[in-house]
Amino acid sequence: MSQVKSVMAETGQSPSRKNRGKLQISKSQIVFEKAGIYIIALALIIVGSLVSPQFLTIDNMLSVLRSISLLGMVVAGAAFVTYIGEYADLSIPAIIPLSGIVAVFALPLGVVPAVLLGMLAGMMIGVMNGLVIGYLRANPILWTLAVVFFMEGLMRFMMSNNQIYPDVSPGTSGADFIDLYRSEILGIPTIVVVMLVLLAISHWILRRTKFGQQAKLLGSAYEVAKTSGINVKRTVMIAFVLTALSSSVAGILITSFNKTGVYYLGQGYDFQAVTAIVLGGMTLSGGRGSIVGVLGGVLVIGLLSNLMTFMGVHPFQQKVVIGTIFILVVGLNQYQLRKMGKDHG
Amino acid sequence: MNKNTSSPVLHMHQVSKRYPGMLAVDTVSVDFYAGEVHALLGENGAGKSTLMKMIAGSFDDYTGEIKVNSQLCQLHSPSVAKDNGIGMIYQELSLARPLSIAENILIGRLPTKFGFVVDTEKVIEETKICLQRVGLELDPFALVDTLSPHESQLVEIAKVLGNHPKIIVMDEPTSSLSRSEVVRLFDIIKLLKEQGLAIIYISHHLPEIFKIADKVTVMRDGKKISTKGIGEVTPKSLVQEMVGQSIEDFYQQRSHQIGETRIVVKNLSRFGFFDNINFSAARGEVVGIAGLAGAGRSELARALCGIDPFDQGSMTLDNNHYAPKSMANAIKSGVAYLSEDRKREGLFLRLDIKQNVLATLIDKHSKGLVYTPKEGRDVPGELIKTLEIMPADELIDVSNLSGGNQQKVLLAKWLAIKPKVLILDEPTRGVDVGAKNIIHETIMRLAKETGATILLISSDLPELVGLADRCIVLREGRMIGEMQKSELSEEAVLLRANGEAA
Amino acid sequence: MGNFKLSRFVDSHRALLMLIVVFVGLSLTAPNFLNSYNLTTILKSASLYSVVMIGFALIFIIGELDLSVGAIVMLAGMLAIGLEPSLGWYGSFAAATLAGILVGLVNGLLVAKGKIHSFIVTLGMMSIVLGVMHIYSGGDSLSTEDYDLSDWLDEAKIELLPPIVIITLCLVLGANFFFNKTRLGRGFFVVGGNKETAWLAGLNKDRYIVLAFVISGMLSAVGGALFSMSLAAMPANVNLANNTLMAVLAATIIGGTLMSGGKGNILKCYFAVLLLSTIFNGISLFGYSYDIQIFVNGVILALVVLYESYAVYKQDALKGQNPKLLQSMLRSRER
Repeated sequence: MSQVKSVMAETGQSPSRKNRGKLQISKSQIVFEKAGIYIIALALIIVGSLVSPQFLTIDNMLSVLRSISLLGMVVAGAAFVTYIGEYADLSIPAIIPLSGIVAVFALPLGVVPAVLLGMLAGMMIGVMNGLVIGYLRANPILWTLAVVFFMEGLMRFMMSNNQIYPDVSPGTSGADFIDLYRSEILGIPTIVVVMLVLLAISHWILRRTKFGQQAKLLGSAYEVAKTSGINVKRTVMIAFVLTALSSSVAGILITSFNKTGVYYLGQGYDFQAVTAIVLGGMTLSGGRGSIVGVLGGVLVIGLLSNLMTFMGVHPFQQKVVIGTIFILVVGLNQYQLRKMGKDHG
Repeated sequence: MNKNTSSPVLHMHQVSKRYPGMLAVDTVSVDFYAGEVHALLGENGAGKSTLMKMIAGSFDDYTGEIKVNSQLCQLHSPSVAKDNGIGMIYQELSLARPLSIAENILIGRLPTKFGFVVDTEKVIEETKICLQRVGLELDPFALVDTLSPHESQLVEIAKVLGNHPKIIVMDEPTSSLSRSEVVRLFDIIKLLKEQGLAIIYISHHLPEIFKIADKVTVMRDGKKISTKGIGEVTPKSLVQEMVGQSIEDFYQQRSHQIGETRIVVKNLSRFGFFDNINFSAARGEVVGIAGLAGAGRSELARALCGIDPFDQGSMTLDNNHYAPKSMANAIKSGVAYLSEDRKREGLFLRLDIKQNVLATLIDKHSKGLVYTPKEGRDVPGELIKTLEIMPADELIDVSNLSGGNQQKVLLAKWLAIKPKVLILDEPTRGVDVGAKNIIHETIMRLAKETGATILLISSDLPELVGLADRCIVLREGRMIGEMQKSELSEEAVLLRANGEAA
Repeated sequence: MGNFKLSRFVDSHRALLMLIVVFVGLSLTAPNFLNSYNLTTILKSASLYSVVMIGFALIFIIGELDLSVGAIVMLAGMLAIGLEPSLGWYGSFAAATLAGILVGLVNGLLVAKGKIHSFIVTLGMMSIVLGVMHIYSGGDSLSTEDYDLSDWLDEAKIELLPPIVIITLCLVLGANFFFNKTRLGRGFFVVGGNKETAWLAGLNKDRYIVLAFVISGMLSAVGGALFSMSLAAMPANVNLANNTLMAVLAATIIGGTLMSGGKGNILKCYFAVLLLSTIFNGISLFGYSYDIQIFVNGVILALVVLYESYAVYKQDALKGQNPKLLQSMLRSRER
């Protein structure tokens, strides 16, 4: 801290009149922050319906939901890493294929055991991340980057660039497996249901559990959380394990869709997840945001991609657009917080 | 000794610096002369650091007149101060640690060949010259990271000297030095004095001031109390000025019993932090922990709560073995710790009062995985009322509160666990008088009504003397004594903390 | 005391020492290692990573992170090949480099003036640049029929030193000189070492940050352009971007340059790149597939990150310790 700042801290300078007035504004701004992403979603829907009559149809909306389901599952867990202030888990693109590959390997034991084993495999990566980042305090970006690199390398090497084909003759667990992605529950695609369930669980964890409360404190101020008696190391561990679990579920379903287990199935999910999380109102500094917001972020990404496709924007161009929006949204968010004087800690 | 008695190098006339709610420096007038070591003495909060920052150019809004060598100047930024020949040596040295000695000393003015290539020979030459001025012979390319605090400090001095200052301000320069290193530093200071520099020496180590200073200015509550030659003062007289006339009995008389022993600390040691600490404290008792900054008080407190480990020794709490492995353990055993720095370690500035107060109770208010804050619904409200926190709204962000109210919230957070042992670390630092009173009343009531044991770490002597039943004194990590209520007076404590007999 | 100095020495020169160990080990055990052709191959394969490393290390030195280096490599590579028919080799090289400079400029401005965390800026930029690359190349790899340049770059007129290696060495040595010996170069270290001290000494932190990102973008582009020019083709598979990032990151950290800022040495990082290239070469000489190289690269990176984190972890535990008290306590217990 600069010398001037430390003097101010010591003398307990009371907030200037400027700040007191901001109290009023900040409450309504917070409301906008929370609902904001859905307002944007609504705006996208309106624009979409103007661009094409096919946009606002049940079929299209369902297709949008289907396209975001996997991402929605991933962010249900990944949001926690950002929430506790550890930026992002870049090892997600490795957890996804790993869980799928393990599940396919284990299919001879039956679909359910296979799925469980796949999730277990993914969870182990989460545990490893939790240990290195929570206990050893490694830089989360550098470590998870290292993990995704060596895990993908490992998978490529073990599969010798081949793919794992499950035996899909009817009646086998393989057939059941590839059915997972394509099935429906009461008329709604399973993947959408799974996404909503995971997000609901995630929301409950954030709002109603001990861990969720501790995560909020940890994200707000790490040191203060430590001196307040929170087991910061364990909390970080849990966040990474949750990410790994939800990514594993997504990974198993993606593999089911792809009908084969292959190392590149997870590519791009790290970036998309961070984008959705940040769009949804969770700041990188931690302790802020909600799962409802994150769902909004996922929706906006889905609607935007869908809209751009309708407008004839090529997938490569879409990538450019989303990258730009990502930077702008975070920048804007940070700017707003700075103006409200809320960016300390 | 060249004493320039004609006109002062630095002349400060009726300078003041105001912060919202308080006057940190109150119409102070003082002169500093060339070839003199002028000590600035005062307790924490006396205003000496603010005065120093004024000289350093940290403020653009002070009032009053400052003249350097009879030239009026506006010290509104650090570069203006530097241009006027003022050199600052802060306690937290401003060196770039991953870089070499040479790069730090010659920062911003590396000698070059052809305008852009660094002239290595010149660098070595100039660095060596600068190092010689402080009596150091080190490899110019050694990294500052590898130097001892003593060597780093000398490098910082060499760096400042490189700008040919007329005035050097040193802030607590001896806090991490050994006795022999202090002697070396003093030799350099004497040398600089002879070269005609004016040296302003800020400290509250009395023995050293007597060894090195020519003049002493005492500050208290933002005002200058006196400026005298070193021959005209004694440690006792200085302490009396620092502490002021005995304040009217501001603190209530003790009217309750002290019960059985509650916490016993035996031979507690942590290598490099504190050594062989032994004391005990009883139910309802207030035990003060006195000492200068850096004596190891906070480190001891953190070890008592499990935040930091300890290497040797043992503790008991209510006759049970007590060895907390974490703050959570300590909380479960009923031990609370109100940390020194409320903004960095104490409060969640981004959250509201309610969330801050309930932070320590998360474990208690959970059934298994589920967090049931309903149980603690009334707690924040009650504490807001008890401590008279303003504004009395539990949903207000803590960052919007004044210093005094923030401190109350911090206290509330720890009162919420209904502690058996409450460790307070500078509980009223940067707090206005009204809040201070309330905090003190609350502490005493806690001790009286619940029999809580209070350990009070404080540099605020009236507070320490007024509240404590007993006081242990730490110096450089060791316990050098224990003082009973009858021996307790502000002067006595300060003298003991400095290593002098009362 | 001697032990301590020795471990410091080893740690400080670990890249070179490990390179020597691996080199000797492979010369003794690997078939066809110690011949002119193979050694030249190692040097050539190190060129892309070395050039990119220079810029990446610089970003670490000022305490930031640039995840977009791999993407810029690919964009530049595409431009160098794709624009050659219309602009000639000089023109396409210049265009590729210019593209890198522009991307770096945007990165730098967003970080310095926009005050957005470099992780976010370069993560987003990586996506944007890869998108642009794909748009430009239409999703395909590009290649050229004009093999003259690629032959020239690859053919060693001087033993072990084909032009591409000479260019790389010039850049590495030039950068090393710049960062060690010029005032501007040293300025980056000051800014990264202690931003406040830098400001107090009159250095403009923002300018240095922007300049660092521009240099990083430029060098990533140069590396990518040289790479595609020497291959006379540019693959469109984004694995190249990822592998580049992975290798450069590992080499930079092994070479002793940390993200904390203020510390780093281009030459040591170059030895680290050579170390990685030699290891990969060894792997292929033993007949293992390319996939193993990727895997080994990843493992090395993970180990390096673990090692550095552990070192910081140990140091933090001792923060605030009073050395003279520590001495006296240890002495009194020695009885």
